[in-house]
Amino acid sequence: MDRNPNAFLREEYQALVEKNFNWQLRTLEGPSTPVCKVDGKEVIMLCSNNYLNLSNHPKIKRAAKQAIKTHGAGSGSVRGIAGTMDLHFAAEKAVARFKRTESALIYQTGFAANAGLIPQLADKGDIIISDELNHGSIIDGVRLSKADRGVYKHSDMADLENVLRDADSKNYRRILIITDGVFSMDGDIAHADQIVKLAQQFGAMTYIDDAHGEGVIGSDGRGVGAHFGIEGKIDVEMGTFSKAYGVVGGLIAGSQDLVNFAYNKSRTWLLSGSHPPAVAAAQRAAIEVLETEPRHVKRLWKNTRYFKRQIKKMGFDTGSSETPIIPIMCGESSKAKELSAALYQEGIFALPIVFPMVARDRARIRVMMNAGLKREHLDKALVAFEASGRKIGII
Amino acid sequence: MLKVGFLVNPIAGMGGRVGLKGTDGVLEEARKLGAIPIAGEHARAMLSEFNRIRKDGDAEWLTCSGEMGADSLEKAGIGFSTVYEAPEATGQKDTVAASRAFLKQKADIVLFCGGDGTARDICSVVGRKIPILGIPAGVKMHSGVFGVTPAKTAEVLAGFISGDLKPAEAEIMDLDEDRYRKGEWVVRLYGSTLTPFESTLVQTSKMMVAEASDADVLAEIGEYIQELVSEEPGTLFLLGPGGTTEAIGKVLGMEKTLLGIDAWAGGAQPGTDLNEAGILKLLDKYKKVKLILSPIGSQGFVLGRGNLQLSPRVVRRIGRENIIVVSTPAKLQKTPVLRFDTGDAELDRVLAGRSWFSVVVGYRLSRLAKIQI
Repeated sequence: MDRNPNAFLREEYQALVEKNFNWQLRTLEGPSTPVCKVDGKEVIMLCSNNYLNLSNHPKIKRAAKQAIKTHGAGSGSVRGIAGTMDLHFAAEKAVARFKRTESALIYQTGFAANAGLIPQLADKGDIIISDELNHGSIIDGVRLSKADRGVYKHSDMADLENVLRDADSKNYRRILIITDGVFSMDGDIAHADQIVKLAQQFGAMTYIDDAHGEGVIGSDGRGVGAHFGIEGKIDVEMGTFSKAYGVVGGLIAGSQDLVNFAYNKSRTWLLSGSHPPAVAAAQRAAIEVLETEPRHVKRLWKNTRYFKRQIKKMGFDTGSSETPIIPIMCGESSKAKELSAALYQEGIFALPIVFPMVARDRARIRVMMNAGLKREHLDKALVAFEASGRKIGII
Repeated sequence: MLKVGFLVNPIAGMGGRVGLKGTDGVLEEARKLGAIPIAGEHARAMLSEFNRIRKDGDAEWLTCSGEMGADSLEKAGIGFSTVYEAPEATGQKDTVAASRAFLKQKADIVLFCGGDGTARDICSVVGRKIPILGIPAGVKMHSGVFGVTPAKTAEVLAGFISGDLKPAEAEIMDLDEDRYRKGEWVVRLYGSTLTPFESTLVQTSKMMVAEASDADVLAEIGEYIQELVSEEPGTLFLLGPGGTTEAIGKVLGMEKTLLGIDAWAGGAQPGTDLNEAGILKLLDKYKKVKLILSPIGSQGFVLGRGNLQLSPRVVRRIGRENIIVVSTPAKLQKTPVLRFDTGDAELDRVLAGRSWFSVVVGYRLSRLAKIQI
């Protein structure tokens, strides 16, 4: 058989380009600050995950620099062999303390946490029940497992209860319920308290991916557990350092049993190099900042409330947003792309989310609020939204 | 440019208003009872909505002369070419001839105004070569090819033309009209065709989200059933009628009939197109059984529409817990409520259980659907 081993690379890429489905990368020149330089143009950044602007916090930067001095540029190995430094344990201790759980474990990334842990929690004879809008990393983790899968309608607790009853009647060995804590497309919060209650009824394990809830909801930004007053009741509280914490890394918080099981069984944890010392030190410092400086989370919400109020007054629809993730609904994909382009002209960087990531007539500009934005930045953005929104016919 | 073959059945729906079921063979009676043609107005409603929502440079229209299509298009101001000259009084043979003409002219879709009878006639020519789409106007519309309203049908056509909606399998159902007049209501599966659908969005590992074709989803479901079969070599698997189970049958490597119940066990086929007696005999031989069914037609019937071989006696023997319902997510979205009608009200209540049923929609993946009895 005649084969061309590399032809498909170009062919499939071209196919994506033709359909306009390819990713277009923009270059951030300098740090991820609320006002920054993207592709040579100064813009107000409205789509980064750096909610609290902690990636630029002096204490965190100082801790990272110090760690390089004391421990070097890299860890030298995987966690299981020779790559566990005192800095790594210190960061994990800080997570457990902050989350008010017995223990915690840090993975290389949030994706690695989901992909590494989920397949170990459920196997053939078990069932994993997911919210239909869960994040892609959860879907991948679920696919790697040999368990059966059930889906419930987005945040529909009645449907979840029915799915649980059905699973219960089929005598599955284990039932695992997984949901995002804050959904990344619409900015709505999962009913974690009700999910935990239902889980208890049926003996199901709960796993909440709080990537967009950490540093955002709950007192001092402790996350979805704190938000609902159910700290310690969620079996696996999973999160990431790459958003509000301003660093990188995945985390799980829960019992010591969970952590012991997780680090012995997660292939992603065992088979990847551990974080550089600077990262581990920055993670710990980020938690200490949240514990001692409540002003960042407060500022984030102040900006969120102001922006949302004003943008709604103009006539924009912000969907079901309950958090600093604010989808500005545009209708058709083309309108969302037009608005994004118009905003960029005005120095506002906010990307469109279009089909197939969301339904065809539900394209949007997803604004991510930021604690580092000043009133004048918000006003500049609002003016641009109003002017362009009117011109394009969205409002 | 896409070619739309358009035909109107001028007598469709005339039976209904005067209390007759269907119009075939009873046109004279219908006219005597005062029935007037209604298909034209439904067609016009759809076309005017289509004009309102369509984008530029869309489609080329092929049609039949006079009442069979040209009149409606003319009134709607849509340009067309006539590919079939219809006589004064039209009938079934004209629908068939027109469909042949559309195929010959390489139409990409047949848009028709009529009911199950018309759908059936078109399907007899077109099969699964190209999709068909019905503007609802007939008396009986059990087939899964109709828009919900004339206006919604316009949206579907526009979606197909723009490439948003893709063809996927749908069942052609029909009421056996002669048996009806003898007092028996028998709606049965007649055939399988294609119609435009909103495709399934799945999260794949390649892109964040991608459209999965009907074929992809069916392959996934088939893979799952294949695994079940390998895990239970001693179990009898009975596959019900319809396009979905037909596709699964293909994955398993069995000879699956479109309209019948076929058996599969441990890699062999112990029965094909079984009747009630045949099924009961097999149930005697096998200790364990699984019955795989899918929702059929526009109303999502899982039991009761033409699978009379699955009598209450058979279904009771098999048991609710051994029934597996399969469906592509796209179809489930179209018929979100499942219906059971075995003819035994008590059995129907048992099947309905807590009024929802778990439906397999992918590889090891299921969701719940409401049941109505």
